[in-house]
Amino acid sequence: MKNWKLKEIVVLSALSVVFAVVYLAFLPVGKLLSGLFGPIGYDFIFGIWFIVSIIAAYILRRPGAAFLSETIAATIEVLLGNASGPLLIVTGMVQGLGAESAFALTRYRSYHLSVLMLAGIMAAVFSFIWGYFQSGYAALSGGYVAAMLIIRMISGALISGVFGKAVADGLARTGVLSSFALGRELRKKRAS
Amino acid sequence: MFLHTLNPAMKACTVVGLVFVLACLFDPVTPLVFTLFTITVTLVFGRFRKRVYALYLSAFTLFAFGMLWTTIAFADTPSQPEETIPLAGFLFPKEDVLTALALSFRVMAFAALSLLFVFTTNMVHFILSLIQQLKLPPKLAYGLMAGYRFLPMMKEEFDQIRAAHRIRGVTEANSIKGRFKQLKRYAIPLLAGAVRKAERTAAAMESKGFTGERTRTYYRPMKITGRDWVFPLVMFAVLGVLIVLSFQLDYFRWYNGQF
Amino acid sequence: MKTAVQLENLSLTYEESGRTVLRDITLSIAREQDTLILGPSGSGKSSLVQCLNGLYPENLDGEMTGHVYIHGRSTDDFKPGELAETVGSVFQDPETQFCMLTVEDEIAFGLENLRIPAEEMEPRINEVLEQVNLLDKKTSMIHQLSGGQKQKLALACVLVMEPDILLLDEPTANLDPRAAGEFIEVLTSIKRKRSLTIVVIEHRLEGWMELLSHVIVLRADGGVLTTGPLHDVMNKQAHIIHDQGIRLPYPIQYSLEEDVPPPYPFTLEKLADQNVRLPSVDRPRRPYGKKIMEAADVQWKDILKDISFSLYEGEWIAVVGANGSGKTSLSKIMAGITKPDSGMVHLKEKPMKKWTPDRLRKESGYVFQNPEHQFVTYETFEEIAFSLRQQGTAGLEINRRVKNMLSLCGLDGLDRHPPYQLSQGQKRRLSAATMMVENQSVLFLDEPTFGQDAASTQQLMELLEERFQQDTSLFMITHDMELVHRYATRVIVMDKGRIAFDGLPEQLWMHEHLSDWHIEPPLPVQLYRLLTERSRYHVSSYS
Ligand SMILES: Nc1ncnc2c1ncn2[C@@H]1O[C@H](COP(=O)(O)OP(=O)(O)OP(=O)(O)O)[C@@H](O)[C@H]1O
Ligand SMILES: Nc1ncnc2c1ncn2[C@@H]1O[C@H](COP(=O)(O)OP(=O)(O)OP(=O)(O)O)[C@@H](O)[C@H]1O
Ligand SMILES: [Mg+2]
Ligand SMILES: [Mg+2]
Repeated sequence: MKNWKLKEIVVLSALSVVFAVVYLAFLPVGKLLSGLFGPIGYDFIFGIWFIVSIIAAYILRRPGAAFLSETIAATIEVLLGNASGPLLIVTGMVQGLGAESAFALTRYRSYHLSVLMLAGIMAAVFSFIWGYFQSGYAALSGGYVAAMLIIRMISGALISGVFGKAVADGLARTGVLSSFALGRELRKKRAS
Repeated sequence: MFLHTLNPAMKACTVVGLVFVLACLFDPVTPLVFTLFTITVTLVFGRFRKRVYALYLSAFTLFAFGMLWTTIAFADTPSQPEETIPLAGFLFPKEDVLTALALSFRVMAFAALSLLFVFTTNMVHFILSLIQQLKLPPKLAYGLMAGYRFLPMMKEEFDQIRAAHRIRGVTEANSIKGRFKQLKRYAIPLLAGAVRKAERTAAAMESKGFTGERTRTYYRPMKITGRDWVFPLVMFAVLGVLIVLSFQLDYFRWYNGQF
Repeated sequence: MKTAVQLENLSLTYEESGRTVLRDITLSIAREQDTLILGPSGSGKSSLVQCLNGLYPENLDGEMTGHVYIHGRSTDDFKPGELAETVGSVFQDPETQFCMLTVEDEIAFGLENLRIPAEEMEPRINEVLEQVNLLDKKTSMIHQLSGGQKQKLALACVLVMEPDILLLDEPTANLDPRAAGEFIEVLTSIKRKRSLTIVVIEHRLEGWMELLSHVIVLRADGGVLTTGPLHDVMNKQAHIIHDQGIRLPYPIQYSLEEDVPPPYPFTLEKLADQNVRLPSVDRPRRPYGKKIMEAADVQWKDILKDISFSLYEGEWIAVVGANGSGKTSLSKIMAGITKPDSGMVHLKEKPMKKWTPDRLRKESGYVFQNPEHQFVTYETFEEIAFSLRQQGTAGLEINRRVKNMLSLCGLDGLDRHPPYQLSQGQKRRLSAATMMVENQSVLFLDEPTFGQDAASTQQLMELLEERFQQDTSLFMITHDMELVHRYATRVIVMDKGRIAFDGLPEQLWMHEHLSDWHIEPPLPVQLYRLLTERSRYHVSSYS
């Protein structure tokens, strides 16, 4: 935290605020899907709920960005009125840790698409393990649980990994990230 | 009022602690009684617009009720299908209904606790208390606060951007793929605006001499006094009594992953 | 004399674009020598100020060479946060200077950074709030303050830290004339109480001239054109400054036009002494055409009340009024961006809600108050080309028209620049330009000229005039009464969400409630009055 620039922290926090609202907005969508398909409905779009950790890490490229952004987003969600209450903060931490683990594996050196997808998958796996104990997937049949996990992993890879990268790249093209890690990389690429 | 003057960090820790204990229990009665107790405490010792509180509470009740139905509908095959309860003209396995009730009341208890916190806590005081009591780095804490200020501006910004796009002749999408594209198209200006604002705010903060070091003074010193301990003591004591009761009356159940 | 600020060969290049925005600047500002920084839009004034308050090089992505000395000490030698004790800054945007939620917490923030003991804070906060007339807002939430109040708060936050040097980057650009006047008054009264060096960037100089003693003029390419005492520079070099497209104070501008030789008058009274010709205060009016828009009994939240009026073909309506009086809200409802809670808006006799967005766009255009809201692409060029592409215009034609528009708006050579990284004024012009390439029948403009230098204001207004001549009706919100005076055929005054006045500009200037609405008559009108009054006096004294 010491060597973070203040503006990186404020940007992290602003991103978390924006996505906390997006997260809340997607809850009814998940609810609708789960009404149609049962608990697995949520897993189709589960990736959306990890997206801030991938975007923040990809833009700022600092250890802790994924974990912090997801935790803050969850906290703000609770303050805005997510019925799951304070436990959601823990859920956010777990998801953030999942995404963080992928970046830590590369020692925060690579932010290639594959790493971002891996981060989405790891967030899915971590959140699944937490959900398994916390929301009681144990009561569901084995095949169903496996299907849930796989769909959630795919959703994590695609929505938070691929789509998250697309959003961040789009943002970088507007030029507003020019003094952040992602913008600097883009500039180097353009120069060469 | 008592809840408002309580040290925010202490309040937060108490709420989180209670939530963890509640998360381990699994009978319908304890969370129900505890929910009612929490609501009473909130209403008696808090001062806020009761209508807004009622609004939130009813939204959560609705959510919990919805959960009740889905849980019953998607439940596993019960181990004792012969015991049933008639509900709305149908017969449901008793076990499923109890499980569903337990889950729903748990959600209600969580909701009541977070509402207690949200309705009686000033965000700024909370963050200040996090810095002073829980040793959150000031750089992070003030950075968070600056970002938090964008929250009320967001809806307005979003509407503006949508309007601007329509004015520029971007048509609204109706296919699924189109929706995602549209999400990206709206998200980017929104995020770009947020990043610009964040950058300028950070610059303004630094120009006022903010360095993020711990050696700063506080306009609002946050302290923990003897009074602050009353809240956790009472809350945990009541929960403890409820748990003991549940043992005594033999309806206690651990939570082990029921759905 | 001791120097407050000294620059040695300061140059600055932004990495993103590779453009050099400041070129080899060497100058000094002595203590208590209150200085105005002038320069065309995009000349690097804001960038210069960023270098002075030590935010640079940490916070911008560019390369800075040369030295900046504050009170004789290089900014590199200051510890982080230390410079804030000496230099305080107020920025242009009233929204993004705060990090706390309430007024008192925000002011305390600076004191906490300086490690002032808690018990000393309260009296200092009260004192500074008293100075800026915000004491009654001490416990208010910041987001509920009006734009003018926010700017005063920003000033208070800085003043409480008792800096020796105060940097102000267009602090009044978004304020109504009264709020701007009050802001300057506050500064003047503080200046009387304690020693302070003020450095101001402004495009509109009204009200500032008495406060400031020196001037630094930047050229469009980022070099220094000239520096010196304000009066000297104005007297000797007014025409050169004018040629740079910089706005001069009205009395000097008028003297230049009338070929009055220097020394130039700085105030209207002095100008009137010079025996100048009466300024013309009439604008030829065209007969109105068909009715194109009508609002009937529009209400929106508790912000707009009982709004009824019609807009005709061939009209140029100016909408004026205090900050927060509902101008922007009204224009959005008229343009169909927000829906009224009750009442109806008709466009060409069809209710607003029956218009499809696609058809509506061909009929009406809208330039937002915040230019950043308008950007939908990644490059300046594409931004203007966007609607042309949507219409399926041919590539070559697009190229020609966009290039033409870029040069008309003074954005030459910036075609590949990302819109978000333009200077304030450039953003404003770009956002207006995007709406000018189409041929709508109504155009809504929310403060199209704020933060513009004289040349860009002129260019923008010429573009609008051209559209007007081609029968586009204009609905323009502005705080600049001279524009109202010169261009509008009709003016609407908003006051607390109601239409307080609807009529001809010349009727408005004579209205008894003018100052209640935070409006001052435009300077040509004031001059006209002054001159006619005097001649009446003359005539009577002769007879
Ligand atoms: N972050 C940035 N990255 C790249 N170029 C920039 C950036 N900020 C500004 N510029 C460019 O630098 C030049 C100077 O900008 P600056 O904002 O300092 O101008 P200014 O004199 O304050 O203009 P205005 O009167 O319009 O506010 C402009 O041409 C602008 O396009
Ligand atoms: N979406 C909204 N919801 C609630 N209040 C609003 C909304 N938009 C604006 N307001 C409030 O309505 C009032 C009028 O705002 P508006 O933006 O129309 O003022 P304005 O006349 O354009 O002022 P300015 O000259 O500062 O731009 C203000 O007090 C503002 O805070
Ligand atoms: Mg500027
Ligand atoms: Mg406005």
